[in-house]
Amino acid sequence: MKSKIISMVDRLKDKEDLKLESLFGSEPIRDDGFSRKVVSRVRRRIWIQRLSLPIAFIVGGAIAVKPLSQLVVAVSKLRAFIPQDIKSNIDNIPFENLPPVSSILIAAFLVIAFLLAGKLLQE
Amino acid sequence: MSVHESEDNELVTRVVVQQDTAAFGELVRRHQSQVRNFLRKLSRDYSLADDLAQDCFLHAWDKIHTYSGSGTFIGWLLKVAYTIFLQSKRKSSRYGEVLQQIGNASQSTGANNAGLSDEIGDLDRFLAVLSEEERAVMILSYACGLSHREISDAADLPVGTVKSIIFRGKQKIRDSFEIEDHQYG
Repeated sequence: MKSKIISMVDRLKDKEDLKLESLFGSEPIRDDGFSRKVVSRVRRRIWIQRLSLPIAFIVGGAIAVKPLSQLVVAVSKLRAFIPQDIKSNIDNIPFENLPPVSSILIAAFLVIAFLLAGKLLQE
Repeated sequence: MSVHESEDNELVTRVVVQQDTAAFGELVRRHQSQVRNFLRKLSRDYSLADDLAQDCFLHAWDKIHTYSGSGTFIGWLLKVAYTIFLQSKRKSSRYGEVLQQIGNASQSTGANNAGLSDEIGDLDRFLAVLSEEERAVMILSYACGLSHREISDAADLPVGTVKSIIFRGKQKIRDSFEIEDHQYG
């Protein structure tokens, strides 16, 4: 109620207000492709937002593969320092049946990339 | 709520819920004139104003979920436009240069506006005597036709302050141009 009264008071204009309105007033600005330009920028932005995460992941993954494999190699070299009794137990584990570490890393990377691509297509 | 406002709200809902770019395009078509007009009058630089208007609509796309629907959509949009304008002004000196040119031209011809060249319009001369805040409030009121409450929302000022700024702005225009009996131009 109060806001309606305020709004009505707002609309009470004197001669001076009307003159200012005509002075400030202008013809409506024609669209001239403005809205199309804005919408195409919005669509581009949506695509950039959708692609930025998978691209960042792929680039980051590609950069990280080499240091990660080096880390795995370095960790495997630490075996030399493991006491003999523990080592004999580890030797019993059938590591040779496992695929190479680099293959596991690449497979994990591909699985995640496919999941992200699937989510992207779904959207 | 008018039909136009309820249509706006429907379009906003489609944008928020479905990320509907076509609905957003319709909102841009409906309001581009007022937003560009506001920014053109505020910056006095058409190409800068149109760039800012594009930024305003992109920002509106990102933040449209924050529009509560309590005021009009155009009021909210003009608030975004004003914020974008203030941010750009802080970053760039282009706006200051344009106003300086207008101010200098206004001063060089004296307080009386009778002999001013046609290059600078009446509106520019009037706006040059106002502070930035007064300019924004006067444009929102007289060019965009917003109510005092809507201006208060758009400019983040209390309604009482908006009223006193408009009063002060009108007074300044009267004093600066020695206009009697409220005769402008």
